[in-house]
Amino acid sequence: MLQLLADLARWLTGPAQWQGSGGIAVRLLEHLEYSLLATLAGAVLALPLGLFIGHTRRFAFLAINLAGFGRALPTVGLVTLVFLAGGLSMWPVYVALIALAVPVIVTNTYAGMTAVDPDVTDAARGVGMTGPQVLFKVELPLALPLVMTGLRLAMIQVVSTATIAAYVSFGGLGRYIFDGLAQRDLVQVLGGAVLVAVVAVLLDLAMAGLQRSLFRNRPADAR
Amino acid sequence: MSSIPAPRRRTVLSGLLAAAAVPAVTACSGGITSLKGGGSGGSGAADSGAGLVIGTANFTENQILGHLYAEALRGSGVKATVKPSLGSREVVVPALEGGDIDLLPEYQGNLLLHFDKKAKETEAGELQNALAAELPASLEALPYAAAEDKDVFAVTRETAEKHGLKSYADLRKTDGELVFGGPAEDKTRVVGLVGFRERYDVTFKEFKALDASGPLVKGALKKGDVDIANLFSTDADIRENDWVVLSDPLHMVPAQHVVPVVRSAVADAPVRKALARLGTALTTSELSKLNRMVDVDREDPDDVAAEWAAEHGLTEN
Amino acid sequence: MTAVDWGWFPEHIGDMTALTLDHLSIAVPAVFFGLVIALPLAVVAHRVRRLRGLILGASNVLFTIPSLAFFILLLPVTGLTRSTAVTGLTIYTLVVLIRNSVEGLDSVPAHAREASVAMGSRPLRTLLTVELPLALPVIMAGVRVATVMSISLVSVASYIGYGGLGQLFTDGFQRSYTTPVIAGVLLTLLLALLADGLLVGVQYLCTPWARSRTRTARTKTSRTRRTRTSTAGATTAPSTTATTQGKGV
Repeated sequence: MLQLLADLARWLTGPAQWQGSGGIAVRLLEHLEYSLLATLAGAVLALPLGLFIGHTRRFAFLAINLAGFGRALPTVGLVTLVFLAGGLSMWPVYVALIALAVPVIVTNTYAGMTAVDPDVTDAARGVGMTGPQVLFKVELPLALPLVMTGLRLAMIQVVSTATIAAYVSFGGLGRYIFDGLAQRDLVQVLGGAVLVAVVAVLLDLAMAGLQRSLFRNRPADAR
Repeated sequence: MSSIPAPRRRTVLSGLLAAAAVPAVTACSGGITSLKGGGSGGSGAADSGAGLVIGTANFTENQILGHLYAEALRGSGVKATVKPSLGSREVVVPALEGGDIDLLPEYQGNLLLHFDKKAKETEAGELQNALAAELPASLEALPYAAAEDKDVFAVTRETAEKHGLKSYADLRKTDGELVFGGPAEDKTRVVGLVGFRERYDVTFKEFKALDASGPLVKGALKKGDVDIANLFSTDADIRENDWVVLSDPLHMVPAQHVVPVVRSAVADAPVRKALARLGTALTTSELSKLNRMVDVDREDPDDVAAEWAAEHGLTEN
Repeated sequence: MTAVDWGWFPEHIGDMTALTLDHLSIAVPAVFFGLVIALPLAVVAHRVRRLRGLILGASNVLFTIPSLAFFILLLPVTGLTRSTAVTGLTIYTLVVLIRNSVEGLDSVPAHAREASVAMGSRPLRTLLTVELPLALPVIMAGVRVATVMSISLVSVASYIGYGGLGQLFTDGFQRSYTTPVIAGVLLTLLLALLADGLLVGVQYLCTPWARSRTRTARTKTSRTRRTRTSTAGATTAPSTTATTQGKGV
């Protein structure tokens, strides 16, 4: 055990390990690229949907069921399916990652919108605000904490799951996990896993920081 | 809210736990010993009612071989189950050493290299002796089959003509311009980049970690994403796509006859006899034919194996 | 891609059944053991404030580790057995189960606990007969999420041969054969749906007191338009964060 940790430390700190096309630096950047792009694309798709459902309160069943469906969808199966349908490209990976992110963002956005006190929106309408004004000036700001929670959760899942890119031959930190197994190098597997966890935790902390700075001037009632 | 009568509360909770526990317990004792299903329940390989547990690696030919072993064993009155697609050699060989499985269809050269990265033997007989010496005491390599499935490195007809490629030695003419595709382990092993560099003085522009004769590397070769690909000599797609298999004048790739590796503890006389009989009947062309039926015609490995074994008289004692 | 080969389905009913059972034999114990580990930890986290952050934080960090890595790293310990798949999945259920159990316990009104203590109940008895039953709806919400997530995650273990229905993905991948993959995806979804429905039923039977509450809440909703659709969230899923958590690989 101690030996393994020592080997891990050596693996993580070796300068040669960080350089070159298969080095940790490149793999880290690739991993960030996949994760951030997928989360962003997920947000672009999911936020309008969540806001729409939350604002109109229509299709609420969709938001609730989407979450369950998204959780149940096996990522490996989805990757395989898209790969067989369209051949080798990054699409299988992005489709699977986005499918993972969208339900989380939609349901949290929706939950945030429904948590807004109806008295507040009624008052906003009462003073003559239009639908979009109510949405953007009242509901969205109040729902933002839960919206951010959704984005953070989606991000963590996507970062951890982006390792699957290596399954279809692409890069990212998943390479160390797949290659480590193929080369019978557990230290490499462990190193890859640790790096993924570190990236996920750091990105989450960064998002939390962003969230805090967004709400600095806001009363604490928004949870 | 707190006025629930006490007995009711307890039944509620224990009811819930029981509901969770019952399927768990029945599932754990699992009697799923069905065909290509998910393998058998429990962990003790030989001691369960499943008989001899045959592990297979994660490519179709190995699953066909596993089912052929099972048919041959059953024909000799030995109970056997097949665990399909357990993973790569790096996963299954340790499982064999650990006793999670009892028997494994393997390939001479690659198996030897798994235990001795520096092994130099290339000829079938030498390999068999080397295996006897290198395998852990608990394991034994039984006599090898007539069938051989070698690692080959192939290029498209176009690439071959463009660079005038016939053998691995000709690759030197390409000045490291070609992109190499193979499984991740090719990067660090002799049947791969190391062998090309040391034996043939050949380097490549780039190494792409794909798979061995699988959908990734074949797709990449078709698309031109890689120029030279690690395939298996029995792969039906080689002929299908008119790919050119380069020759190996310096014997970088060792012989790869199919060889049963077994835990010595379970290798009794009927097991040896059954597998020896199978090994004689199974030739390279027969194995290619079986691969074709599964990969191209999409038949199930167990069906194909059962039919073949019956045709070749292996199912009766 | 070739079109779906519908003939495959009737020919492989036996295999699909076996793989489905195999799938359950990995996912169900994972949730069960997850619950066995999570409940005591949640009680500790609920009682001892100082350990709360540590327990929740640790389970969160474990959750970020890719599951495939876990399976591989467990191989030398548990071997190539079902236990490896079950152990790996158990670890992932913890984050949801612990968090929901803690939130469930937090949601128990102080007066309920105090009444029990005033009646002379020992702490353990209070926990088992008052706190846990009242926390049950929130805990069950966690169990539902953990179950669906486990069912979906089993397929990752196909890399070590214990993927249940995920074995169909490997098979389809190796042979460029779409049909088994589609079958695997559909069966996984179906299984998750059925398991979730079953748990809703179990919860309904186990929490008779909540039923009447839901009914009154619902009548109230229809009377006052403004409470709108949030009752479903109030009874089954008070914790948005936990209920929307899942994992892909």
